Amino acid sequence: MTENSLPKLIVDNHPIPFIPGESALIAMLRADCHPTGGGCLCLAGDCPHCLATVDGVSYVRTCQTSARPGMVVQRHHADGAYPPLPLDDRPAPAVAATNLFCDVVIIGMGESGQTAAAQAVAMGQEVITLDAGAGQEVIGIYPGALVVARTDAGMLHVHARQEIVVATGAAEIPPVAPGNHLPGIVTGRAAAQLVAAGIELGRVVAVGTPVNGIDAELVTGEIVAFEGAAKVEAVVVRQADGGERRMVCDTVAVNLGLTPRDGLVRMTNGTPERAIMRVVGDAASEAAIPPCPLAGIVCHCSGVTVNDLDFIWQRGFHEMELVKRATLAGTGSCQGSACLPHLRAFLADRGGELQPPFTARPVTRQLTIGEVSAGAHHHATPRTALDAEHRKLGARMERVGGWWRPWNYGNVLEEYWAVRAGVSIGDVSTLGKMQISGPDALELLERLYPTQVATIKPGRTRYVLLLDERGYVMDDGLICKESVTRYTLTFTSGGATFAELWVRDWAESWGLDVRILNQTLSLGAINVTGPLAAELLARAGLTNPPPYMGQMEAIVAGVPCRVYRLSFTGELSYELHHDSIHSPMLWNVLLALGADMGIKPHGIEALLKLRLEKGHILVGQDSDFDSTPRRLQHEWAVKLDKPNFVGRQALLRTNKIPLDKQLVGLEMDGPAPIEGAVIWHNDVYAGYVTSSSLAPALGKVVMLGWLRLFDGVLPEVVTIDGRAARRAATPFYDVNASRARAKVTPTAQPVDLSTFPFAEQAAESNSHALFQQMTMQRIVALPAALDAVTWPEENITLRIAPDELLTTAEVDAAAIADPHAIVVTDTGFSGLWRKSDSVLPILAQHCEWELPRQRPAFAQGMIAGLPVKLWLAEEEILVLVPTPLAAELEERLF
Amino acid sequence: MNEFIEQKVQLQWHEPKANYDVVIVGGGGHGLATAYFLATRHGITNVAVLERKYIGGGNSGRNTTVIRANYGIPEAVRFYQRSVELYQTLEAETERWIMHKQKGLLWLAHNEAGIRAERARAEVNTAFGAKTEYVGPKEIQEIAPQIDMMGGGVWPVLGGSYHPEGATARHDRVNWALAEGAMRRGVHIHQRTTVIGLRKEGDRVVGVMTDKGPIGAGVVLSAVGGHVTNLANMAGVRLPIRTHPLQAFVTNHYARQFDPIVASMGLLFYASQTARGEMLIGAEIDRQPSYSYRSGHHFLQSCAFRAMTLLPFLRNLRILRQWTGVCDMSPDYSPIMGQTGVDGFYITTGWGTWGFKAIPAGGEQMAQLIATGETPALIAPFGLDRFARDRTLADRGSAGTH
Repeated sequence: MTENSLPKLIVDNHPIPFIPGESALIAMLRADCHPTGGGCLCLAGDCPHCLATVDGVSYVRTCQTSARPGMVVQRHHADGAYPPLPLDDRPAPAVAATNLFCDVVIIGMGESGQTAAAQAVAMGQEVITLDAGAGQEVIGIYPGALVVARTDAGMLHVHARQEIVVATGAAEIPPVAPGNHLPGIVTGRAAAQLVAAGIELGRVVAVGTPVNGIDAELVTGEIVAFEGAAKVEAVVVRQADGGERRMVCDTVAVNLGLTPRDGLVRMTNGTPERAIMRVVGDAASEAAIPPCPLAGIVCHCSGVTVNDLDFIWQRGFHEMELVKRATLAGTGSCQGSACLPHLRAFLADRGGELQPPFTARPVTRQLTIGEVSAGAHHHATPRTALDAEHRKLGARMERVGGWWRPWNYGNVLEEYWAVRAGVSIGDVSTLGKMQISGPDALELLERLYPTQVATIKPGRTRYVLLLDERGYVMDDGLICKESVTRYTLTFTSGGATFAELWVRDWAESWGLDVRILNQTLSLGAINVTGPLAAELLARAGLTNPPPYMGQMEAIVAGVPCRVYRLSFTGELSYELHHDSIHSPMLWNVLLALGADMGIKPHGIEALLKLRLEKGHILVGQDSDFDSTPRRLQHEWAVKLDKPNFVGRQALLRTNKIPLDKQLVGLEMDGPAPIEGAVIWHNDVYAGYVTSSSLAPALGKVVMLGWLRLFDGVLPEVVTIDGRAARRAATPFYDVNASRARAKVTPTAQPVDLSTFPFAEQAAESNSHALFQQMTMQRIVALPAALDAVTWPEENITLRIAPDELLTTAEVDAAAIADPHAIVVTDTGFSGLWRKSDSVLPILAQHCEWELPRQRPAFAQGMIAGLPVKLWLAEEEILVLVPTPLAAELEERLF
Repeated sequence: MNEFIEQKVQLQWHEPKANYDVVIVGGGGHGLATAYFLATRHGITNVAVLERKYIGGGNSGRNTTVIRANYGIPEAVRFYQRSVELYQTLEAETERWIMHKQKGLLWLAHNEAGIRAERARAEVNTAFGAKTEYVGPKEIQEIAPQIDMMGGGVWPVLGGSYHPEGATARHDRVNWALAEGAMRRGVHIHQRTTVIGLRKEGDRVVGVMTDKGPIGAGVVLSAVGGHVTNLANMAGVRLPIRTHPLQAFVTNHYARQFDPIVASMGLLFYASQTARGEMLIGAEIDRQPSYSYRSGHHFLQSCAFRAMTLLPFLRNLRILRQWTGVCDMSPDYSPIMGQTGVDGFYITTGWGTWGFKAIPAGGEQMAQLIATGETPALIAPFGLDRFARDRTLADRGSAGTH
């Protein structure tokens, strides 16, 4: 091929031809172009002298990069100036990550790696090999026996079951002498590679040992200096007899010995991964310690000379780490692979003690932030079953309490007044919801909650605080009693996840006999609130609603619901809990039935105003990490005369300590201060506002805030925003609870729903998607009771925990030998059937654990950052995910 | 030759003496600063600092060097503002280049709750002497034009707080400037000296036992990071501390073009560019307690991903190194400083992810306590007894990312 017919890469705007298959560096050297302007090249990925910006990515080792036609190379400035930050933000395709599983992973496919691979294969082990020479650059070995490698085609996450073989070989020690920054210096191996590539080296002097296949003049001894102006012209060597010899040359090939490439090994010292690691070949060799360097650059990345080391040594920096930090030697792009032997030699010479190498850390080969991100996902924010409805109604969606929720539907005041004067519905599906059943259910709740649980009557609910061991309020919610052995608990949206851990942990710690089912993600909940709420529900078929703080099962708008009467808004309110598959229908029917009542849905913003007027605290917003019931003025919710509950001991102690601050109600005129505004009392800090709003129904500003006591007394008047504010009793609105607790007898007649055009709407709103909500039976029972049942094979039955399963079979509750079993219909999971061969490759990209190989099989774990359950049938795979996360999983996988 | 080679610090090492007036366990920033302020402010120089490895080798040399005072409660704002101000003059006082640079710190909010928190932060900061203001999207874009205000379509930036006095300094150089300043005045620092026990006479701590022999002390201060619960236990003091790993990573070196420190409360990461041009990126603590210094892939992968979402220019930057430190977390996310109830034994701990920024003020105040026997007002709220007294310092402002 002639030069003109060769493909070209562009180096600093000049086209340079290359022979297909060769590295960018070889092509550049053939064109007499040294990437960084000088320094001893190793051509093995160890030194920093071939770094350049390649296709916009700086610090790329051109010796490890295959030349491609049109590749754009910019040389790093030889004066040491750093490359610019690439500030363009053109979108780039995401880098893929693939998860691979094997018995043995072999890192490095030189001779020793090949031998190890052959042995492992012969023993019938599954082997994966990663070879930097083949473009698989291992960046680190991580917990879980995870070996991460970068390739041009994406990231490899290799999970080794049995053994990690490190066969990374050894690096050649570069020379340290004056002039070692000149071009024309190469290691022995590099020289051989260059000659093999047909690059003219001119007159070559080999220092140390001969270089295979090269006609070079050999000299042994210590290098005193490299000489030359723009490039090396001679090398001066002190020979064994002490005499110096100056040899004129065009290229110096240096052979100063080897140092093991053991960064991956040192990185795992003292870890479980080290225990399954075998280091073979040169990587296992002792590190050669060269003679103490006398002059010249030791660390090229940071520009550190022997003089600098001497200077810093004399300044009292003697520990390897201190010398590194004081000079920055070893902290540059090659992470010490070139300078470490010389640093050790220097410190051994000065201190008389060979210090261990500094700590090896990932990444041992460099990669971009975009590359290392491959396979990462954002924390998923779940969506309720009404998400599409909110969007259709023009809601501005917000992340609130860990969920996407409607902040408002465009007009907060309209939403507010719908609640105060008519009727409104709100999506409260995000509330934590948990069933507890069992002989010890009452005992568990008595120990968990500071209220007298035994006095709750069946069919009634009670507002409760949840305390931690220090007596601080963690959460609040309801206990709803069905029977003495069966309860439903609710928690705040933001507190629900932790609450499940809390309840399960205590139940287990105390060894109590209970079944626990978290239904937060399975049940939808709609709050119907406003003076006309009961009328609306009567139209929907609920003509005998439960009394205040009562609950019942009922069919509302054709949907089986558990109806709770309570009030967060200060108006007549009913919460309808139901299987979330029905949420869109229930929502739309209620909106349609209430149209002539002026019904409007309300968002969180309106809800926050409503509850503030009613003086209800919001745990997490009004409460703080140190909020005792006394500080929150919620002592009425705590029965200290109970024998024991979590937090009781702490409260008995802290209640004796003089009170320092309380959450109080405040009111003032004029504009509402911001939440967080500082409260002053006679120019002394007195606390801060936690909730603040102009109260539309009251025509003044109402607030909750933390107020300090002064000489044991809460001030009556304080200053906020330079204006006077008065302490006020809460609630601000519905003071005697005549609205919230109103006795109601609805007069409206049930509407014939068969005439309603809602089915179509509901179908439409559920039309997102590949994943479809599944209707299954969910059972929590004693493990032995679940074991004893034979589940029909034509159905899918997934044992998702020792005491819990999901099944598509009809369940006869009586057939389960556990009278306390919880058996519910559950629509909390959405599923998708796919052919195995189409879905397995997708899962490999997103699943960091190994799927079972037998069929059929059940597996569960995190996939694409989401909790996924898999049913692996012969030909097909069912992918199951909690419905609130289904849209997210769909986006991530398909 | 690089401009970052330490030019002025002269460390002097001594053989240990049998007795010192003050023995400080832990040669990190807080231990060194206490020794420095004892020597410079109180003329107390018969002091030894004992360090298990090398000075500044723990979290003082592993942190991400952010200095700020934008905390959430008055006590913390006052204390950290003192530290911010001491840092501003530390270079002049020690005549050593600690690479202090005021950069301005931007904390970004991505939802209503976040906006509310940043407004509240600005409010309490302003009330107690720290300069923090609430800023809208337009101002944010002016301060840091590299931010993708759409947050990759996932985490749009809605607002934030700006703390103009937010700064960084080179952690090692802070440690060395303080060490040298103490040494010059006669303080002894003993590296590779591990404390294996405390010597007690009756109820009083009167010295330490080290792997190199006993050392008597008028007063012992624990300025230990990491295994502090073990050391306190030797004195019979139980600490409400859990130790969690904290990880970070840096990229290679690039021209200095990214000025501020940017943190996102939604995406839970923060980023700044060092004097050497590395982009330095960190996140929140690991959830499980551990003393492990091992780096994780999930952290690197996830943190890189989150940072790139808001700062898309990071995509093509090459990573240089990741590392791990450990954080002593107290239940209220505030430090614990002062007396312990055991005579002769003082403590400074609970430095969580905010230890570096507190070094000068922590050292100054602890030195004053040791010199006078009286707890200074600035740190009185941070005593260990606050847990028993039910006067914890619940600080949402510190429970953020750094």
